[in-house]
This record gives sequence, structure tokens and C-alpha cells, in this order.
Amino acid sequence: MGVAQRSRRWLVPVTAVAVVAGVGALGPVVADASPDLPGITAQDLLAKVQTAKVDGLSGTVTSSTDLGLPALPGMAPEANQFLDLLTGDHTARVAFAGPDKARVSVLDDMAERVLTTDGKTAWVYDSSRREAAKINLPARPAKPEVAPEKETYDPQAAAKKFLAAIDPSTKVEVSGTESVAGRDAYKLRLIPRTDKTTVGSVTLAVDSKTWIPLQVTVMPRTGKDPAVQLGFSSVSFDVPAASTFAFTPPKGVKVTEKTVPAAPDKQVTPPATPKKSTPTKPERSGRDHPTVIGQGWDSVVMVRGQVPVAGNGPLDQLLAKAPTVHGSWGSGKVLTTKMVSALITDDGRIFIGLVTPDTLQAAAAKAPR
Amino acid sequence: MSPSETATTVTRPLPARPSAGRHAVALFASELHLVFGRARTWVTLAVLAGVPVLVGVAIRLSGSEGGTEGFIGQVAGNGFFLIVASLALSLPFFLPTAVTVVSGESLAGEASLGTLRNMLTAPAGRSRLLAAKMVALAVFCLTATMVIWLSGLIAGVVLFPVGDVVLLSGTTVSLADGLLRAFGIAILIALSLLGLAGIGLFVSSLTSTPLAAMAATFGAFIVLGILGAIPQIDVIHPWLLMYGWTSFADLLRDPPYWDAIVRNLWIQAAYLAVFYAAAWARLTSRDING
Repeated sequence: MGVAQRSRRWLVPVTAVAVVAGVGALGPVVADASPDLPGITAQDLLAKVQTAKVDGLSGTVTSSTDLGLPALPGMAPEANQFLDLLTGDHTARVAFAGPDKARVSVLDDMAERVLTTDGKTAWVYDSSRREAAKINLPARPAKPEVAPEKETYDPQAAAKKFLAAIDPSTKVEVSGTESVAGRDAYKLRLIPRTDKTTVGSVTLAVDSKTWIPLQVTVMPRTGKDPAVQLGFSSVSFDVPAASTFAFTPPKGVKVTEKTVPAAPDKQVTPPATPKKSTPTKPERSGRDHPTVIGQGWDSVVMVRGQVPVAGNGPLDQLLAKAPTVHGSWGSGKVLTTKMVSALITDDGRIFIGLVTPDTLQAAAAKAPR
Repeated sequence: MSPSETATTVTRPLPARPSAGRHAVALFASELHLVFGRARTWVTLAVLAGVPVLVGVAIRLSGSEGGTEGFIGQVAGNGFFLIVASLALSLPFFLPTAVTVVSGESLAGEASLGTLRNMLTAPAGRSRLLAAKMVALAVFCLTATMVIWLSGLIAGVVLFPVGDVVLLSGTTVSLADGLLRAFGIAILIALSLLGLAGIGLFVSSLTSTPLAAMAATFGAFIVLGILGAIPQIDVIHPWLLMYGWTSFADLLRDPPYWDAIVRNLWIQAAYLAVFYAAAWARLTSRDING
């Protein structure tokens, strides 16, 4: 066997590397080829989306969030149970049956968090802590109590929230088609007209048969990677069995029970702000409800009394590095990421929004003390 | 040419032309004999069998009734979870070490003893030799996880109450169902180790010093682990060898979540294909003297 012939054998592993890399890199691209669909105007598509109604669905939802947020240790630890959903990659199984049955199972690493409601009772189960909470819902809730959590994971709710914000501030267009969860979908793109926000565009992938939004993608004003991508990786529009939404607490699991009083105040929070309180926790006493300043893309949320205690190493470090700004409103520290900006004033107020730092300061000047 | 004719005329150590199948089986059997004939293999397996016992006794003595999160915290309440907890505990370190030792030894060990030279003189036998080595490695991986499964089961039954199994999703299934799932986990973990075994086999084909092969393989394992811990390069994380290793726990959901499991198996297959092909290229093109 000659040397040339011998060295030619190394072509086999080289080919193997090429094939593996090719399948890994090109596989998703091929799967994402744009399907052929008849044209549609943005207005028609919007109307269809708003009238879309399904009796039930089930599927797998994946979310990938990169707001550029640092890990926020020490921020309201009791609320952290679901705050982590706002960063990183997550997978959840969702099921929904009209009008008020829903189940969300967040698939964590070697653990699972389950939220399920059959309309009368809601259960929250955390497999790693082996704790379950039973929540008796009021007789006729407008929305099940798990709604805020559902919004984090249900593309429908997230999309609707953005649609509600559509006004002259936003350019709306149908920007093509794509395949999501194996279904042909139209892409509806919303582009803010103001440059005060950090949001570059929001794209909804709308199913061409049921007109249900299947995916939401938020692009930052700068950069190529989505800040938020939340959507179905698989979906079925069959109504799930009623047993899907039932929950029996397993033996050896600590169960706590709560009853929600009827007609709770719906608190206003803008989309994708990491200030949502978890659905299962009662409102913390001694702290204000968040206040919203401004409207549309450049709205800013103000929270009082959320200043984390000193002595929290990573957070102190973060704040120490943050630039200090002064204005008619006082002085404070500004934290900026590619999507979220926060202003922490010396008198204990936090302004946060999907806006540029300048907009935050302008909002702070207008804010009530 | 019939095998019976040649079998009598051909002398050892390598029968020249028995039927391909029989040759393969004989080669494979001798490989298994080689791997499981070594004292260190048995010591390794004994250490792995000791993991559940150690964990179980520690939990029993400390008498903690939960408090710990995850599978470990459930052991005291149900001995079944000793199997899963032991498998999960062995996966990051013990099992990779065992696989590193055995795979690093496989070709380099023979080269250091001089026996590889004999085997390489049979030109058609090299690919087959490599295949036999790989199959023996796979059998070792499976044996290793099965030892933990069995030892975990025995220790769990002896030390703790055993009963129906609460899945991650909060559903309760029978013990038999649970044991079957744990068995599936043992198989999945064995398959998860194949990528590393492939790397070890390739490194082992490069050198005639077994210790160097083991060190290099373990070094590669550690480097991959470090890469996986650096958040700035999370773009490549999904392609690292160990990225999907924890997906075995998805078998304990109701119903099992297959996506991550299947993805992990593809990753392992990709690593195995690349490094096995490299090992093949190296072995078939190398000089007889190594």
C-alpha cells in the first residue's frame, strides 16, 4: 500500500466531519424553507388573527430569551420561582381547552414545574422541591389565575398583547411566509416608528389555517440575534382530554392551599418586563403597584421600594460598574442591556423599560415622587 | 472454500480464512475476554457498584427526610430513586473515567504489549479488529450502567422502603413501570458514553502508551466540560459531547419527552462516526510497527 493510498484513507474521517457539520448547520435551514401561500394584506391577516378561535390545542413550546440581562440574584427571591423563565432557553408542554382549562409543564433539567387548571382549581407543582400548591379559583374568573404564567409561555397571549399595542406608532406589514412547527405560516412584522425604544421589530408567525399565532420573535434595534423567540416546536389542534388538566398531588408531597378572592385587580404591566409577580404569590405588602409612564413602545414602568439590600455581591458589583446619572429627578445608576434599560434612583425608585436610557431619564423627570 | 477445511490446516494465532461471520464472532469473543479479563475492569465495575451502596448508606445514616432537591432528596422516601440518583451521580465523573480507562487501553494496550503487531499483519482484519474493539467498548459501557442499576436496586430495596414511583410530572406509576424506565435510563446513559468511547478509541490508535491515551482522552473530556461551562460561547454548547447528557431524566416525565433524548443520541452518533472513522483511517494506514 503506497503512502498516497494510505493518506487517502483520512478522507473518510474528513468526510464524516463534513457530513456531520453539514447536517448540523444546514438541516434547520432546509426545514425552514418558506412555504408557498397566497398573498394577504396585513389588515386581513390582523383581522383573521383577532377572530381566530380554537377549542383546544396541545403542543410543545420553546422559548429562547436573550435580553442581555445579567442574572439578578437577590431580586425578590420569593418571586424567583418563575423569573428564570425570562432568561435563557426553556421548553414547556402546553395544553389548552376552551374556555378555561389549561396546563403548562415547564421541562427543566431533571425537574418539571407544572401549572394546571380545570377552571375551578389550579395546581402548581414543583418536582424538584416536591411541593404542590392548590389554588381555589373564584366562581367565575374572567381569566384563570394562571394567566400571567400562561402569557410567558403561550404564544397566543404574548402575540395578542403586542397586537393590542398597535397604533400609529407602529408600522405593520406581512413580510413573507415561514414554516413553524411543521405548519405553513404568514409572517406579520411590526416595526416601531419611534427610535426611543430598543425594540427593532416584532414578528408573528401566523398559522395559515387556524390563524393562531405560532411564534413570536422580537428583534433588538441593534444586532442580528432575536432577543426573544417564543413559539411552538410542535402543535396539534385536537382538543386534549379533560384528564390532561386534572392533578392529583402525589404521596409525600407538601401541599399548601390557597383561595383567591373574586375579582382581583388586574395590574398593568407592559410586555416582556421582568417585573411580573408570579401567579401563585399574593401581592407583597408594603410595596407599590408598578406605575406605567408613557405609552406604546416607549412606556416605562416605575417600581418603588424594590431596592435590593446591600451585601448582595454580584448585584453590588453590577451597580458599582453602572454609570451614575443626574437630572432634575435626582440621581441614580443606569443599567443598560441590548433590550432592557433600568434606572435605579438614589431615593429607591426603579424605572425599567424597553427603551433607551435617555427616555428613562425623561420618564423619571415626569414621574410622581 | 469451506471453513471446516481451512480450520484444520491453519495454525494459530490468526486463522486465515474461516468464514467472515465466524471470524468476527471469534474476534469479538476474544475482545470481550480481553476487556473483561483484566483485573482493572473488575475493580472499575466494583467501584461503580459501590456508588449506590455508598450513597444509600450515607442517606440512611444521616436520616434526612428530604430537604435536598432532586433525585437524591427522594431516596429516603422511596429506594427506587437510589437507582436514578446513582446513575445521575456517576454520569459526570465515574462513568466517563471508566470509559476513558477502558477505551484508552483498547488499541494502545495491545500496541504496548506487541500483540497489535500480530493482528495488523492480517491485512483484511484491521477494520474488523477495530469493529470488535468498538463493540467490546459498547458492551463495557452497557455493563457499567447495568451494574449501577442492579446495585442501586439491591441497595435501595435493602436500605429504604420501596413503592410506587412519582414521576417528574407529578403522576404516580407502578414500581414495575418505574424500574423499566430506570432500565431505559441505564441504556440511554450507556449510549451517551459512546461518543466518549469513540474519542478514546481514536486516541488509543495514535499511541502505543496506554497511559498517554487515557490521559489524552480524559483531557479531551475535561476540555469539553470547560467549554460547556463558559457562557460566552453558548452558541457552540448544543454541539458539545455532554450537552444532552442530562436528557435521560426526560424518561421520567409523563409522557416521556423524546426530543432531547433523540437529539442527544444523534450527537453521540455524530461524535462516534467522526472519531471511529478517524481511528479506522489511522489503524488501516499505519505501519505494522506502529
